[in-house]
Amino acid sequence: MKTTDKIFFLSHSGRGRKVFVGMSGGVDSSVSALLLKEQGYNVVGVYMKNWSRDLPGMKCPWTEDLADAKRVAVKLGIDFEVWDFEKEYHDKVVEYMLEEFRRGNTPNPDVMCNQEIKFKLFYEKAMKRGADYIATGHYARVGAETDFSSDGLEFSSTSYTGTPAEPSLRDEPVGSVRNIRVENPNQTLILQKNRFQSHLLMRAVDENKDQTYFLYRISEEALEHTLFPIGGMLKPEVKKLAEEKGLHNAYKKESMGVCFVGEVGMKDFLKEYIDIKPGEIREIESEKILGYHEGAVFYTIGQRHGLYLDGVKGEVNDGLPYYVVAKGIPNNIVYVSKNLNDEHIWTDELELKDVVIRGSTSRENYFSGLTSQPSTSYTGTRAEPSLRDEPVRSVRNIRLGLPNLKQSQKSNFSRPVNISVRLRHRAPLIPAKFDGTKLYFENKIKRPASGQSAVLYDGEICLGGGIIA
Amino acid sequence: MIYLDHAAATPVSERVFEAMKSYFSVDFFNPSAAYLPAKKVAADYENAKAMIGHAIGAKANDIVITAGATEANNLALNVTTSPILFLVTEHDSVRKVAEQYGGEAIAVDKNGRILLEDLKSKITDETMLISVSLVNNELGVIQPLSEIAAIIRDIRFDRLKRGIKTPLYLHSDASQAMNLLDVNVARLGVDLMTLNAAKVYGPKGVGALYVAHGVKLQPLTRGGGQENGLRSGTENVPGVVGFATAIAEAKEHINGNRKKYAAWRKILLSELHDYELINKKHALDNFVVLCYNGIDAERLVFLLEEKGIYVSTGAACAASKGVRSHVLVAIGLSDEEIAGSLRLTMGETNTEEQIREAAKTINEVVAKERARVTG
Repeated sequence: MKTTDKIFFLSHSGRGRKVFVGMSGGVDSSVSALLLKEQGYNVVGVYMKNWSRDLPGMKCPWTEDLADAKRVAVKLGIDFEVWDFEKEYHDKVVEYMLEEFRRGNTPNPDVMCNQEIKFKLFYEKAMKRGADYIATGHYARVGAETDFSSDGLEFSSTSYTGTPAEPSLRDEPVGSVRNIRVENPNQTLILQKNRFQSHLLMRAVDENKDQTYFLYRISEEALEHTLFPIGGMLKPEVKKLAEEKGLHNAYKKESMGVCFVGEVGMKDFLKEYIDIKPGEIREIESEKILGYHEGAVFYTIGQRHGLYLDGVKGEVNDGLPYYVVAKGIPNNIVYVSKNLNDEHIWTDELELKDVVIRGSTSRENYFSGLTSQPSTSYTGTRAEPSLRDEPVRSVRNIRLGLPNLKQSQKSNFSRPVNISVRLRHRAPLIPAKFDGTKLYFENKIKRPASGQSAVLYDGEICLGGGIIA
Repeated sequence: MIYLDHAAATPVSERVFEAMKSYFSVDFFNPSAAYLPAKKVAADYENAKAMIGHAIGAKANDIVITAGATEANNLALNVTTSPILFLVTEHDSVRKVAEQYGGEAIAVDKNGRILLEDLKSKITDETMLISVSLVNNELGVIQPLSEIAAIIRDIRFDRLKRGIKTPLYLHSDASQAMNLLDVNVARLGVDLMTLNAAKVYGPKGVGALYVAHGVKLQPLTRGGGQENGLRSGTENVPGVVGFATAIAEAKEHINGNRKKYAAWRKILLSELHDYELINKKHALDNFVVLCYNGIDAERLVFLLEEKGIYVSTGAACAASKGVRSHVLVAIGLSDEEIAGSLRLTMGETNTEEQIREAAKTINEVVAKERARVTG
């Protein structure tokens, strides 16, 4: 597999380094803790208590999850703590989510949880406690980016292993030079430390499990101090390792979606917080009332189920399902259509808000490097269009780093660049052009619900993303 | 396997299992049906209830069968909607119900025994029900029920003298008691008492509430009017037959059990190292609650699990909720002491050899964990 000659996956020896690993009780974070322990880190397992409330018909499984996590920690002989972020989770994630729903959007709480809790509060607390790193069981990778072309070195392999003896890269003041040994099966090279210019969020090796969709908003600072121990593994390998090492949760049923919503579903969860408000369901073409609903905020564009339609027989029940195509939040009307080609469902462009472009100066180097030196540019391994096709002169204009979600972001590239975009977790990557706020698609796509994230990639690299307006 | 969590669950004994079998598929008839085989089942059921009653000095008619002790407690507390007085160390199936109606907790001393003065000071003319378990499920502490009953008798007398009609009842959850104590409702002076098959080597999901004459309960479950209208639903014949057999068996073993567990408790206390005993006084001999200072007992549970020894921290229920045990808080333990507390409850599955083996392994595991913690 050929990939960039500019990106490394650093794998330090853990000796003498302290890492706090978030342990949810699931197999992924358990194996992550196991790997860190085996790599010699001083590992502390942490169960983040974000939600414990039982709701009618929804038993919150947090105590079982906590016990599962702790059992693994004990088995590994690592310290284990429970960090209570319940209040913060409620204020930053649940409140945000409810507010977005009230506005008629369909937010993604997992994206927010990673931004505000796991890679912020958990990260900050861990650093205060003397951590060198935090780690999670996410399927993602952290790549280190450098520029070897000026050294005249040539690489053909990607699997570099970082130096055992070196302290972490950030320990050095920026600009200081320190030698780093980078090994690959064929050669050992001495690189200068300041060649590593930034850390990249990269897609997991396991294409099915890649979770960068949920991670695109985490801060650069946290990412630099983050280890994703299983990012280079396939899920079956993770499970197999758990079995081999006798971790009891190798067979644990995977939790899906937002933990506290559980099996019951978002609509029932929302009804605990948002009052039912009956309203009309109208056919969008005719404005005819076809039925009634429990509140427009509970419905999502594209939804087919849960519509109480009782229109004229034969008209409604002709075998063709109605879709939600639009919502009128102020007047509480849900518009539906049977027309699969309805203009509301299909679009060839999407406007994004709260756009985040990952990386700081190095990102600019990355972009401009691609334009100026096409020969060393990154080549996507999955046949995605590469950025090098487009000059990206105006990239400096875009706001870099992580904006607060409430701030909106209006800068544009002078010219749209080619990227690929994921509109849902595990959805296929779609080629698109992006001008800093808008995505342009060659073929029309089904419009995702507003409030969901569009996450941008260049091949393996997660460039950032935004919230669909 | 060395199982030291008999306060959480007991295996169904062979005799119980045998007694139950035919009622699942041979004598399966609905006791309410008209034909003779069903009437025989109804008679067996009544006989089983009589056996349960007999074990506590009551009649079949005083017994309401429920689906477990939690339901029996809920039913007992449903006697009134006025504030209930309950011991602060009660199980959640009493505490949560009592708190719903603004109940008030009665304090305990450092041994977990009721403070009778506190009880007296909290009884008002509106008080209708006092709930105090016979044996606490986390500590094994035995409460002086007859002393409480004596206080209640005095108050009843005083109320009548002053022309106050409000009754005052004593309820006791005796779920944990039947293996070692000779329980008799008249001697204890209780008006309502909860029993649990699952703690006496009977089946789970079967309990009973003893209801003294004259106590007017409100049903929680309505329907066909079974159990004197207090608990509708087709009778759980195998469960009740199993319960009756189990409680009779327990009764036969009480004297032997007392000697056996007293000896084993001594073995544990002398062979274990570096612990602090929490339930020093007034406790059932099969309960040994220890504290290992500076050690997280939950880790010990998982470490011992790997060695095939099953124990619990505090009560299984409290630990699994991820909260500090309210019982251990009530007897004045610090957070660290609570975190280091281990509950060992011995039972029929154990042998003396196992007890010695367990002590040895616990010592090893604790020493290893202590070494890990101190680095």
